[in-house]
Amino acid sequence: MNLQFILKVLGCGLILTGSSGYGFALAQRYKARLDALTQLRQMILLLKGQMIGVNAPLGEAFLAIGTRTKGDLSGLFRQAAERILASPGEPFPGIWRCCVGALGTDCALSSSDRHSLAAMAEHLGYLDRELQEQHLLLYLEELDSVIQELRRRKQDQCRLYGSMGILCGIFLVLLIC
Amino acid sequence: MKIFSRRLRKLLSGLPVDDGRLQEIRLRVRAPILLRFRDGERSVTDSGRMISNPAEGYRVTPDDLKETLDYLSGYSMYAYEEELRQGFLTIQGGHRIGLAGRAVVEAGVLRSMKYITFMNIRLAREIRGCADGLIPFVYQEGNLCHTLILSPPGAGKTTLLRDLIRQISDGNRKHPGMTVGVVDERSEIGACYQGIPQNDLGIRTDILDASPKAQGMMMLIRTMSPEAVAVDEIGGNADVEALEHCMNCGCKILATVHGSSIEELKKKDGV
Repeated sequence: MNLQFILKVLGCGLILTGSSGYGFALAQRYKARLDALTQLRQMILLLKGQMIGVNAPLGEAFLAIGTRTKGDLSGLFRQAAERILASPGEPFPGIWRCCVGALGTDCALSSSDRHSLAAMAEHLGYLDRELQEQHLLLYLEELDSVIQELRRRKQDQCRLYGSMGILCGIFLVLLIC
Repeated sequence: MKIFSRRLRKLLSGLPVDDGRLQEIRLRVRAPILLRFRDGERSVTDSGRMISNPAEGYRVTPDDLKETLDYLSGYSMYAYEEELRQGFLTIQGGHRIGLAGRAVVEAGVLRSMKYITFMNIRLAREIRGCADGLIPFVYQEGNLCHTLILSPPGAGKTTLLRDLIRQISDGNRKHPGMTVGVVDERSEIGACYQGIPQNDLGIRTDILDASPKAQGMMMLIRTMSPEAVAVDEIGGNADVEALEHCMNCGCKILATVHGSSIEELKKKDGV
């Protein structure tokens, strides 16, 4: 076996590993998005409890949730709480949108998830607790429908990502060879 | 300053609002801002200059008030439904914000308020030591006497009561400190914010905030064993019955009442 052949084999191996790895990473990302949405749902339920049950103002409610939970999303709530309590002189939807926008790429929420999350704040804080509760319930319904869809497709989607990753790798190897 | 809209913050930021002379800030939609000092009323121009002629003052816009409401409530007006029903909220620092606008009435009962277009910001100030001259007179042979402070509105009854409570609670060289229970129906005495008093009422004082006086007094007697009970602005039979109950339980009473003379007081129903 000459050096060229060994290098070819190594190169094919790397391509195959890389593309399979990418496929599995996509599958992991899918699962992470599902976990993030599930956590978000839990936090919105806590927010509802704080606002409606305890009658806490937004700053306190967000701080309570941010300190009780963990992860990127708890950081979002803590950051929003700090900005609300600092009273910077800007409307709350702007504060919330800014905090959601600052969520890094580590957070597995998709751009449509972030867009919905940012839009949720448009109607928070108005007079009338009933309206607040209905608004949060509406958002929870939206989240539930996305979560259910993701769960339904989880097995197939993850298998697809994994398989596509391997197949693409094989295809590239064949193409090169 | 943080409670005001951005525009109002700019106008008010350069003014002497923290030197103790400012008592109230009045915001009314489409009317000039009015600042009430001890020595009179002032307004503020568009450029932030203080003037004595209100006609030239900056006129508050509906957006100014809406934005101010957002900030003072922490973007959470829903959390202040009970306070809106009473017509005021207390913010950090103990400042009381009186609100007026369109009442929302249900079955003849005031439920809430909307279109809030008038605001009265009363700056809280405690005057420590204002009850110094009164202390020798509220004790007799080493025992605290029941004390009723009578005056017309705006004369300083609550300020005096506050300092009296503090001095009785802390005690001094001649008189030991006493446990005082305060029923602070309108959050004016202790000016509690999130349950924490913003004014110093002494180290042996317990406060029941935002509670109706009669119920509050009964509850304090049962749960906190006060040696003295303090209430502001008594009036009506329920208050008087509760006060009698407290006295029968051995508590001393510290109270205030509206009136300009003892004769007028004697004519008041209940009191």
